[in-house]
Amino acid sequence: MNEIELGEVFAAAGVEGWLHAVDIDGGRECGYQPDATRPIASVFKVPLLVELCRQADAGRVDLAERVLVPVAGRTSGPTGLSAMRDEVSISLRDLAYLMIAVSDNASADVLVERVGLEAVNAMLAGFGLDATRVTMNGATMLDSMAEDSGHAWPFQDVEELARMRALDPARTNRGTPRELTRLFAMIWRDEAASAELCGWMREVFALQVWPHRLAAGFPYDDVDVSGKTGTLPTIRNEAGVVEYPDGGRYAVAVFTRSFSPAVNQPRADAVIGTAAHMAVDHLRR
Amino acid sequence: MWISSLAMDLVRHLRYFTVVAEELHFGNAAIRLGMAQPPLSQRIKRLEEELGVRLFDRSARQVRLTEAGRLLLGEAREIVARVDRLRELARHGEGAVLKVGVPPDLAAAVIAALVAGFRESHPEVRLAPAEIWTADQVAALAGGTIDVGVVRHPVTAPGLYFGQTLVQPQGVLLAEGDELAQRAEVHLADLAGRELLMPPKEGEPGMHAEALAECRRRGYVPAQVHEGSGLGLVMAGAAVAFGPRQESPGLAWRPLIGSPLSYRISTAWRVASDTVADFSAAAVRTLKESAGMAEQSSAPVRRVSRRPGALA
Repeated sequence: MNEIELGEVFAAAGVEGWLHAVDIDGGRECGYQPDATRPIASVFKVPLLVELCRQADAGRVDLAERVLVPVAGRTSGPTGLSAMRDEVSISLRDLAYLMIAVSDNASADVLVERVGLEAVNAMLAGFGLDATRVTMNGATMLDSMAEDSGHAWPFQDVEELARMRALDPARTNRGTPRELTRLFAMIWRDEAASAELCGWMREVFALQVWPHRLAAGFPYDDVDVSGKTGTLPTIRNEAGVVEYPDGGRYAVAVFTRSFSPAVNQPRADAVIGTAAHMAVDHLRR
Repeated sequence: MWISSLAMDLVRHLRYFTVVAEELHFGNAAIRLGMAQPPLSQRIKRLEEELGVRLFDRSARQVRLTEAGRLLLGEAREIVARVDRLRELARHGEGAVLKVGVPPDLAAAVIAALVAGFRESHPEVRLAPAEIWTADQVAALAGGTIDVGVVRHPVTAPGLYFGQTLVQPQGVLLAEGDELAQRAEVHLADLAGRELLMPPKEGEPGMHAEALAECRRRGYVPAQVHEGSGLGLVMAGAAVAFGPRQESPGLAWRPLIGSPLSYRISTAWRVASDTVADFSAAAVRTLKESAGMAEQSSAPVRRVSRRPGALA
């Protein structure tokens, strides 16, 4: 795998791409523009989950605590509580599960309220992840797009997209492929929180339902793919971990930006898996 | 005097800063700026000394913006854009040159009409047109090698401004002897089995992807897609191509049933100026009159399916 090959694979899918992959145990790594700061979209839910676990480890949060999530003021979205019609009583850890498994915005924002974005950023700074920052919750990210464009979804006007705060790496939730693989590697090595809660995080990431991005690149029954997607207009991301039956474990982050603002672009989704597979194959060679 | 030379120097350094911040790679930034890498690195260092903050973190193997750099980048861009505009205004009326990019497959007559249309209203500005594809125009606008472009959509590029979007319904160009030429209209699916000639994918990635998606959707999956803008392959009967209504010897143009393909085009610029705005307005007029383009509002708005997997 060389840079040109990856660039062509991304271009053939109609996207620009950024990638980093690392062997979690061996440390071998490869990348394609791996240190560029990009909008991470819903991948921000990963550092949020890590900080939630650290606060639970410190006894400041009880993951079994039940909270009441009313209908009014619930953050919108296509899945989870965001898509539900009625008041919900649910534990913090089940909110976390929904936030990761189906990228539920409403669950994420309840947890943001509880955990605090400052604490998330302090945790990232403490780990030396200096390019990764969470500046807005899900509601702010969505509201900013409506404010910046002056209308509701869909957002497909290229001029409006060029000016959206949610897509500007300087202002939105952001990170680099290399920093995201580092965070995932830390979760898989029990370094991001206690071993117990790192184990729980791995379970939750393995329950993520989307098959069309990272997982699409590894169509093998004996390979586990865990991760978290992130999507905004023109932005399709996924970061996660791929585990082979021989024990090989690889953290991979792939960020893309499509040339076309079309919402439904299966090729742009699938190239995330294709590029990840090329990178992991390279590390396993 | 020293104040003014320092200020000029600062603006130049800020320009270097914005380019390095965009590339996050000193080598690439140096290429874009047309200079060697060591002096570029030195100048960024001098700017950091002048401002008293570190703009880039070079400790890792690659370059990244520091928090301070991120904060200052917006302001730096603003300053650079304003100085560009100042220069533009100063040049205006003094034998100014407007560097314009146009797609190479735009008909020669249309390019001529574009130039003539603008010259009529701005005899004092020399128009320097260059034939370059959309993707290269985006890079040329970013690098300042052109002032304004005529680009095909969709193109998503942060920091670009676009003029009014015009649509151009596409028909199919066939060899005169093609049996389909006997029909008044052709369905995309009727093209099955024929190879397709398209502008280069690298140069027109957005249009390429949209057109081919539409072809597949309507049942036309070309066995091979040739890249180029000359119509020799079509004349030879080796491929078909899409294009606006035209009369060319050896070729037959037929409308596509249901108007499935419409190319969208607009002007694009990075630094606004009166000259750019005037060119933009003249281009809209000319493209409507001489290239059969219509305002976007006349194109049907497609609904967008809201699938959770495409949004989460």
